[in-house]
Amino acid sequence: MKKKHVIGALLVLLGIIISFPLFSMTYYTMVRTSTPEFCATCHEIKPAVRAWRASTHANNAAGVVVDCMDCHLPAPQNTLNFLFAKTYHGIKDVAIHFLAGPYDREKARKAAYAAFENSECQKCHRNLLYMPQSRGAMRAHRTVLYARPGYDLKCVDCHYDLVHNDKTSVMFRQYREVPYQAKGLNPEKLGY
Amino acid sequence: MRRPSFLPAIGLLLVGLLLYGGFSAANAQQPNFPLVKEYRIERSVPPQAVACIECHRATTPGVFADWAKSRHANANITCLDCHLVQPGEEDIAQGHEKYYGRSDLPYGESQYKVPIASIVTPKDCSRCHPDEVTQYSRSKHANTLEIIWKIDPWLNKGMNSANERKTGCFNCHGTVITLDDKGNIDPATWPNAGVGRLNVDGSKGSCTSCHTRHRFSIAEARMPEACDQCHLGPDHPQIEIYNESKHGTMYHAYKEEYNFKAAAGTWTAGVDYRAPTCAACHMSGSGKVMGTHDVTERLSWETQAPLTVRPQDFKPFPAKTDWQVEREKMKNVCRQCHSDAWINDFYNGFDNAVTEYNDVYFKPAKATLDELYEKGLLSKEKFFDEHLEVEYYELWHHEGRRARMGAMMMAPDYAWWHGFYECKLRFNKFMEGAGHLVKTGEKAYIYPNFPNATGSTQRPEKIFGPQQ
Repeated sequence: MKKKHVIGALLVLLGIIISFPLFSMTYYTMVRTSTPEFCATCHEIKPAVRAWRASTHANNAAGVVVDCMDCHLPAPQNTLNFLFAKTYHGIKDVAIHFLAGPYDREKARKAAYAAFENSECQKCHRNLLYMPQSRGAMRAHRTVLYARPGYDLKCVDCHYDLVHNDKTSVMFRQYREVPYQAKGLNPEKLGY
Repeated sequence: MRRPSFLPAIGLLLVGLLLYGGFSAANAQQPNFPLVKEYRIERSVPPQAVACIECHRATTPGVFADWAKSRHANANITCLDCHLVQPGEEDIAQGHEKYYGRSDLPYGESQYKVPIASIVTPKDCSRCHPDEVTQYSRSKHANTLEIIWKIDPWLNKGMNSANERKTGCFNCHGTVITLDDKGNIDPATWPNAGVGRLNVDGSKGSCTSCHTRHRFSIAEARMPEACDQCHLGPDHPQIEIYNESKHGTMYHAYKEEYNFKAAAGTWTAGVDYRAPTCAACHMSGSGKVMGTHDVTERLSWETQAPLTVRPQDFKPFPAKTDWQVEREKMKNVCRQCHSDAWINDFYNGFDNAVTEYNDVYFKPAKATLDELYEKGLLSKEKFFDEHLEVEYYELWHHEGRRARMGAMMMAPDYAWWHGFYECKLRFNKFMEGAGHLVKTGEKAYIYPNFPNATGSTQRPEKIFGPQQ
């Protein structure tokens, strides 16, 4: 009986000794590879990060900073999905870097928009219906949240150059000279 | 004996006269101007929008008063919500910026300066009305410039002048808006509120064709008068046809009772209106049929085309619809007031009219025209410069359309006297002329000085891509 307990305790200890560094290293790797700085180590992504730094998603009166991951990956609490998407994109991007031709930013941008889901924006933007100072937006958001069958819209169909448009100066939300408004439906969305 | 005293009476009279004179003078100084529409900033509005409103109340009071009576003003949607553009955009109205430096204008100060665009496009409207714009973008309305450039000989053969096009064709069909180097709108392309206008931002059309600015009224677009600004005349007299039909007759007799202002999705046949208007059948929701801004929906024949085809087979712009589904939708609209037997018998007459037009009138005429071209009796170089080409054109474009549309919308005079009757005369004249050429082998007379055939034959690059 006693011997059994000792073996059990030893096995648990061994488990901890092996898994603790494993988990913490995985976690550390995840944290290290989830920063915009890490994303910008690829030269293909540099312009996107530069544009993001100058955008209102990094500069606003509330001090909230929205990182690459916050929009481009499933939420981390959705652990398996998060890990899978992150690993997949990491491997894919490196493979394409070496195998494919020159990076086409416009093409990549379109693919990213096509992959966006409203739930990614809605992780933060949850209170979209009660904006007394912006009644048009209230109306438009209602048609997105309660879409008529066949009329599904994505947030990025109208908000399509919010972050990664090249700017000459840093954009602070609090110093906007003109009120922000969505661009309206992207003509591409309308099949023009 | 007491003498009657006239003095006080004379005094009173004088005072009275003086007072009257004084009032008259006051009236003359303050002429009888209508009251200016009031606007108090009681709800949250950005200061730049206050500047727009206060300045435009003084400089363009008509625009201001129109907006102040609109649903937009009701919902606190101001000038900026539609006209604002972001700095650096292509279509910023450069000329407008100078007004922010004019101290003689209310709010003419640089702190209120915002970039604005003069032309508001469907893309701008889609910021609040995305579904309507999505539907509209699929319609023949939005794409009409592409359609006419694909089939119209006036444009493709350059048979009219640029200004004849601007003031005629493009007024309804729309212009291709272009800007010069300084960002000013080319006056050859503006003003324009055509349904197929190609805007600088790439969007197509103009919501103000039917919802005129600055009221943007749903009620207005429900009235036949919204449609008849374009749908009239010898080549597509829809309004004349409607007016002759029972629907039109009832509309004119009862329109005072119509509730045109019903909220979207609630306008109800038999309740809010007695007989339908154009919009009621072609666009508004009715029974289980959902409302749409795509006027190509609910159509089962293209009665405007030379050879009548199903909308999905209309080559210049094939509809992404199935005619049987669309006919069922239209029948559902009819069912608000008519029985199935009535509807089916009506469609039977319409389908027969289409078949007869196609087989008896159009196809033989087209075959003869092709034969004349093949034998070199008619010249292919231009169109309209030989009499038989005009005869052929009017056969389908004028009376051929009147016959089919008259049959569809149940106007007997247009189905027959302005329609098939004229088709018969035209057909006979065309065939007589064609027969003469074939028999004698003589080439058709070509009008040597075709007037004002100076228009460009270059298809717009923004629609068709670079051309040779």
